[in-house]
Amino acid sequence: MSAALLDEFGVGDARERDESWRYSKAALRALSQQDFAEADPHSTLDASLAASFDWPQTRGRRLVFVNGNYSDKHSDVANIAASMNVRHEGGQRLVLTVTGDSAEPVHLVYASVPGAAPTRWQAAADLELMAGRATVIVQHIGTAGADVLGALHSRITIAPGTELHLMTLSDLPDSISNYRRVNTTVAQGATCLFTDAIFGGRLQRADLNIGLNGESARFESRGVFVLRGRQHADTHLDIRHGARNTTCDVLWRGVADQRARGVFHGAITVAPGADGADARLSNKNLLLSAHAEIDTQPVLEIYADEVKAAHGATVGQLDETALFYLRSRGVPAAAARSLLIAGFCREAFAGIADVEVRGRLDALLAERLPHSHGDREEVAG
Amino acid sequence: MLKIENLHVRVAGKEILKGLTLDVGAGEVHAIMGPNGAGKSTLGNVLAGREGYEITEGSVTYNGRNLLELEPEQRAAEGVFLAFQYPVEIPGVNNTYFLKAAMNAQRKHRGEGELDSMQFLKLVREKLRVLHISDDLMNRAVNAGFSGGEKKRNEIFQMALLEPKLAILDETDSGLDIDAMKMVADGVNAMRSPERGFVVITHYQRLLDYIVPDFVHVLVDGRIVESGDKSLALKLEEHGYAWIAERRLAGAA
Repeated sequence: MSAALLDEFGVGDARERDESWRYSKAALRALSQQDFAEADPHSTLDASLAASFDWPQTRGRRLVFVNGNYSDKHSDVANIAASMNVRHEGGQRLVLTVTGDSAEPVHLVYASVPGAAPTRWQAAADLELMAGRATVIVQHIGTAGADVLGALHSRITIAPGTELHLMTLSDLPDSISNYRRVNTTVAQGATCLFTDAIFGGRLQRADLNIGLNGESARFESRGVFVLRGRQHADTHLDIRHGARNTTCDVLWRGVADQRARGVFHGAITVAPGADGADARLSNKNLLLSAHAEIDTQPVLEIYADEVKAAHGATVGQLDETALFYLRSRGVPAAAARSLLIAGFCREAFAGIADVEVRGRLDALLAERLPHSHGDREEVAG
Repeated sequence: MLKIENLHVRVAGKEILKGLTLDVGAGEVHAIMGPNGAGKSTLGNVLAGREGYEITEGSVTYNGRNLLELEPEQRAAEGVFLAFQYPVEIPGVNNTYFLKAAMNAQRKHRGEGELDSMQFLKLVREKLRVLHISDDLMNRAVNAGFSGGEKKRNEIFQMALLEPKLAILDETDSGLDIDAMKMVADGVNAMRSPERGFVVITHYQRLLDYIVPDFVHVLVDGRIVESGDKSLALKLEEHGYAWIAERRLAGAA
């Protein structure tokens, strides 16, 4: 089974696959020691799960998929803009085409609902932005129970001069694993803003591939993962500058508490001829426990001239001086830690213009961040 | 209010304070002067409860309690405030949020009711106005990207807001131009009152032209070697710290 999952989620030859799954192979192997049955597309959502995607600002523009299958019952498409075309192919493949400005976000929800035994689902989403600007929110949620392994393959095409803000919010219980592959192409003068927030999950793997294919194409990414217990998240960003004067700006933060494991791989390639590229990548991580682990790998390959590139990655602990500063003003130690951890994560989202989106992220951070020190071990060794 | 007796402190195995004794009464302003490396900042940090300082001998009593057994946040709630020599930049943590959390934690500790957002902001505006600080300071992250002067002003603003009983200013004048220093001095002078004690740690006499102390102490090599009134600071300014060392040698001979 292990080989089968690796075949499915890995790319390239055996050596490349091995390398790309280096820090998560054991987690994948452990996962694949189970037999997965096909997940039930007609599973019922419990009330709290249904409430978690009922956002006032996306009512009427919400598409819900239960175990990968489109759910008429939970979707609400009453107010989808005329400039948006929604098509379903066989229930599991969504094709969303945007042909003009749409001020309001579209909300895609992927809900994992467990069965009696381990189950798995897969789905696909094609998103084409042909004109104007659009915001798409993708939310991954699930109910605790037997293992569920979901896989979502997305293909995103961003046409010349358009602007897409794609925000993924993945907040999963410890029994749910998630594989996401997003292949994005950004055409001439187009912009892709990519915000990613990852909380929890047994194994969350994201392969985010971005091709800056047209001149002056721009990619901006802000992301954070927050993990505890034995949660494991592995994010691979692979950005290819394929044209002149292309820009990427990546700022990711990671927090791991208890025995959690975080992986961040940020690769930027500037292809021959992509002169004038400007590439920036920063990845900072916070370890809150001696048993947590974070691996970060920034990779920069440049084959063009006159390229500006800056990248940096750190893994550290809470700043004791900052902690003392807060405490010296009267903030109790545990609250001071929470403040610092939240501040560390919020930095990644400070520049997000959309107030609603930032509010959602803030609320999730407040809810999911560890509130005290990692020395309280809830997970047995 | 504050009674330090024969305090010995080690930092990373090295003795920095070597028997420091100091009495600060309510309503008094004490200036501590001394050359680099004398132990001035160590004194401030030990009083505020910073980790990494090993007290090997002596005692610190604050309003009749053993100050050294209190956590930093308990000291703050009991009225001890340290204005940092190097205020810490904390990106991502909003100044308003932080100060409201600090203030309400202190109030809770003292059994007082917490302030709601409206009450808190009213108080903040009042203090900002008195100190001539623009309120955009409150919307920024704690000290993040602040200039040296802004950081020190933020310290004084925090002091004004939290209204401590004992304020320790650790080289608050360092790196400030004359206008910023006057602003800091004005902030301190406005808070002088019969119930409040100040320990003003400084390297230069200049600040003491604006914050006129009741007592001046000279700290050299971990001990207070000379105490006097404000004229002592002027003598120091004139003769330098070498003068003290010479006087000590002469006294010992």
